[in-house]
Amino acid sequence: MGLRAAAHSSSSSIDSSNHPDPDLDGLLPKPSGSSSSSSLSHKINGGSNSRNSRRSTHTRTDLSTDLRLGLSISPSHHSDLSSTTSSPREEALVSWPPIKSILRSTLSGKSENYHHQNSSLFVKVYMEGIPIGRKLNLFAHDGYDALITTLSLMFKTTILCPDNNHVHSEKYYVLTYEDQEGDWMLVGDVPWEIFLTTVKRLKITRADRC
Amino acid sequence: MNYFPDEVIEHIFDFVTKQRDRNAVSLVCKSWCRIERFSRERVVIGNCYAISAERVIARFPGLKSLTLKGKPHFADFNLVPQGWGGSVDPWIEALAESRVGLEELRLKRMVVSDECLDLLSRSFLNFKSLVLVSCEGFTTDGLAAIAANCRFLRELDLQENEIDDHRGHWLSCFPDSCTSLVSLNFACLKGEINLAALVRLVARSPNLKVLRVNRAVPPDTLQKVLMQAPQLVDLGTGSYVLDPDSESYSKLKATILKCKSIKSLSGFLEVAPRSLPAFYPICLTLTSLNLSYAPGVHGSDLIKLIRQCGRLQRLWILDCIGDKGLAVVASTCKELQELRVFPSDPFGVGHAAVTEEGLVAISAGCPKLHSLLYFCQQMTNAALITVAKNCPNFIRFRLCILDPTKPDPVTMQPLDEGFGAIVQACKKLRRLSMSGLLTDQVFLYIGMYAEQLEMLSIAFAGDSDKGMLYVLNGCKKMRKLEIRDSPFGDGALLKDVGKYETMRSLWMSSCEVTLGGCKTLAMNMPGLNVEIINENDQMEFIIDDEQKVEKMYVYRTLVGPREDKPEFVWTL
Repeated sequence: MGLRAAAHSSSSSIDSSNHPDPDLDGLLPKPSGSSSSSSLSHKINGGSNSRNSRRSTHTRTDLSTDLRLGLSISPSHHSDLSSTTSSPREEALVSWPPIKSILRSTLSGKSENYHHQNSSLFVKVYMEGIPIGRKLNLFAHDGYDALITTLSLMFKTTILCPDNNHVHSEKYYVLTYEDQEGDWMLVGDVPWEIFLTTVKRLKITRADRC
Repeated sequence: MNYFPDEVIEHIFDFVTKQRDRNAVSLVCKSWCRIERFSRERVVIGNCYAISAERVIARFPGLKSLTLKGKPHFADFNLVPQGWGGSVDPWIEALAESRVGLEELRLKRMVVSDECLDLLSRSFLNFKSLVLVSCEGFTTDGLAAIAANCRFLRELDLQENEIDDHRGHWLSCFPDSCTSLVSLNFACLKGEINLAALVRLVARSPNLKVLRVNRAVPPDTLQKVLMQAPQLVDLGTGSYVLDPDSESYSKLKATILKCKSIKSLSGFLEVAPRSLPAFYPICLTLTSLNLSYAPGVHGSDLIKLIRQCGRLQRLWILDCIGDKGLAVVASTCKELQELRVFPSDPFGVGHAAVTEEGLVAISAGCPKLHSLLYFCQQMTNAALITVAKNCPNFIRFRLCILDPTKPDPVTMQPLDEGFGAIVQACKKLRRLSMSGLLTDQVFLYIGMYAEQLEMLSIAFAGDSDKGMLYVLNGCKKMRKLEIRDSPFGDGALLKDVGKYETMRSLWMSSCEVTLGGCKTLAMNMPGLNVEIINENDQMEFIIDDEQKVEKMYVYRTLVGPREDKPEFVWTL
């Protein structure tokens, strides 16, 4: 006897809209009525850090994860991933905004603003106290780490990473940028991909100014 | 206990179709459990690692339709590395060895191999329907096996899969004797197909109702196909590039006039917008329109098209429609129930594609709206409060502001009040995802008001453990909680570990949870798999319990730690 026909929505989706039911309620043991009430002793991470530095920590951790994601993917899987010239690594880096890879690769083929391997984004970089600036191709870097490394070499100075505690001293420098709205912001708070869309130019300033 | 013979009870159970209800029925008494399990035909397994194939088969020997979901949802956004798992092979192997007469298999976010597609095609004589959503790991060779061997195939539905296209002749593998097709969707395939074979296949499939072709199918072939299948209800075009002054265009236009049943339209993977008017006659009866893969259609052409679609219930579009376009949708599509607005330019410098204005217009014009996915440049509390007032019937509300920590641009406040209004007004809300600047306050509101909430997605939100605790304590129906880049740590994770057995899964990545915290959770809850994904470090070097874990995935299971973990996944 055939499967009793159920009404088939033409798009036949398998998301929770069609199957809102919990899995196998009848199979699972009844959950214990009382929760584990004694608070389990452990070191709790205090929530007292300022949000900005915490956010930048998360951002950087996630970015470094994403970088390794790109490195660990075999080329054969990605041979059809997109019809654009973007590298598998660039594809793998992106987890924001949250859209499916297949949609992303469809759109990136059409978007004029999407940075292919061939294109570049040169921005001016100034260091405090030095009147002559440099220019740097942001698209040639795959994250904040790479950017800071390059700038440190370019200007022969130590630039603090965004997730270290700020050392307010004359000896160290931090990296700031001017965004599309004309505001000067500390580099590192937002995901790299978003940073690329809002940065207009960079400035290396003394840490005690921030 | 039974006042009726088993056959009568079984007949009554026939009317109990929802899995949740059937589960309840099976808990009443032993004999009802027995009758129910022998008569159950459809099973949905929301997490393939929660149970084993053998146990499912043992309990439901009459199984005909199986739905399986594999990877966690955030895998859609590249947060789960390749090789994580979710292979369907062990399930197919177990089913093939059993006496189950499988007729339908529906998979989401699973890894499927050509070998198991081949095994599937040869093991079940009555196999009718294969639906693969966001799956990967197979090639067109696997599709060829399905086409060639499943003699009574009715449905082959491939939605947004990553398929290695060997440009073979899989479509030609449908034998001439195959005339049973009702639904064929291969829009996600990237390679060429045999166009003549497609036309012949459609010609011998009188029951064909759904056809979604891929980019390789040009307008000429589309016209031939439509001539053979004027009964189509759901059409996905391929490449739609043709000159409106050409004869091909006139021919196609005339053919479309004969297709009076089309209710759902999608595709336009490449498009010449000036040729869209050929589809205007269909627009009058359309209930579903998906142009999310059609970045070639710009705002003004989109608007002209949508003005024709007065009966639309579902609309998926790109944000190039703009706020003005959404106002047109609001005034035209009074029956709208589901709206998805995707970002057309995920990396672009934001020229405000859509903002809160578009959403407010939609909420005012479309009172039946219950499902929303909205990618926008900005959102205000005032707008969300208005939307909540206009549309208290939301079941799914997913808002994604492209800059994830952006506050209300007018007041510079967090969006707590706005989302608070949504959860307070929408008493039927089952799924929520939020973005923008959000503090612990929004979670307080969610815990207080979102009584029906089953799935919550959090990114870059909250200030402290309190936020997560509000949700865990308040949302009694929570099933899937996924959190990224938020400052929730061990304190929140471990406060009520029993809670996770009432849920399907918890995902936390780039949060403050430590290895020690995860170990504690695993130790106290043997009914959960606590999996850590850590690609950076070798196992030997992680001895420090203070170390934060990159990614943690916790899920309830009846079968203990899984055997197919890659080296970067540890079960604690």
